[in-house]
Amino acid sequence: MGPIRAIIAIAGLAASASAYPADAPSGKPMKMDEPMRGEMKKNTMKKGDVRKAAEKKARELKAMMEKEAAGAAKK
Amino acid sequence: MKKRAMETSLAHQSPRLIRSIERRLFLRQGLSLGALALLSGCDLTDDEGVQRLLTGMSRWNDRVQSWLFSSNKLAPEFPESAITRPFPFNAFYGEDEVTLVDGKSYKMEIEGLVREKKPWTLPELYALPQTSQITRHICVEGWSAIGKWSGVRFSTFLERIGADTTAKYVGFECADDYYTSIDMATALHPQTLLTFRYADEILPPKYGFPMKLRIPTKLGFKNPKHIMAMFVTNEYPGGYWEDQGYNWFSGS
Repeated sequence: MGPIRAIIAIAGLAASASAYPADAPSGKPMKMDEPMRGEMKKNTMKKGDVRKAAEKKARELKAMMEKEAAGAAKK
Repeated sequence: MKKRAMETSLAHQSPRLIRSIERRLFLRQGLSLGALALLSGCDLTDDEGVQRLLTGMSRWNDRVQSWLFSSNKLAPEFPESAITRPFPFNAFYGEDEVTLVDGKSYKMEIEGLVREKKPWTLPELYALPQTSQITRHICVEGWSAIGKWSGVRFSTFLERIGADTTAKYVGFECADDYYTSIDMATALHPQTLLTFRYADEILPPKYGFPMKLRIPTKLGFKNPKHIMAMFVTNEYPGGYWEDQGYNWFSGS
């Protein structure tokens, strides 16, 4: 690889690295059985409740949207 | 003292008028209690019938709010000097537990009533026409903060994917499991942005990398972060906090 190509490649790598956040946090996994943070929650709510609710909602919406898509395809 | 004076003056009035005033007072107090229960998002009781009634009232409230919503009315914008530093982090988890999304492999999934369902990568999203806004984020918890967000007008994005803009709702699924949905009128509002930057820098994870929907006309919990998928539908999708009793429309 010539020096110009090497400079371009390094510049390209630097640019792609800076395209994403530099101050990434530790990424500690969420403790699902811990109480939720913030003021919106009820005292009994745990962080893992959001995932359970999201999975239930996804199942409900999938069925509803398949029906909707089938209806739209008929039109 | 005031009550006694009122009773004395009412003593001269007809019983029919007094009954009418009592009815009005009862209705006003009942409505205030109902509104208080909806605003607080708290349960007065877990009784299923009461919950159904409160949910019905909240949905009615949504309809009134969407009727009052004007797509021409803009939220106030501010100068750079008004920006709150540091902008507060807020979520149902701690800042050290923020979800990390890999930007290189990221693809936003598109579903529902849209013509083009192909997933969108970040370079494709960054290539869309970008705009910035400095607006106030208002949290239902009672605090607010001013920040600068940049991204593409959501109406432009909906147009690009051939969304059915006569549909009622746009829903969002996020990497941190959070989910919410908004009305189409708000989705098409000129200040509703699909944002990729905060304070002119790529959105940091704590503010929702790779993207956050910024809606200055709605409360903070209607501004989803870490969006992984979106869909257009006529079926009411609700949302995490909305399904817990918080008002769905939550906007002006």
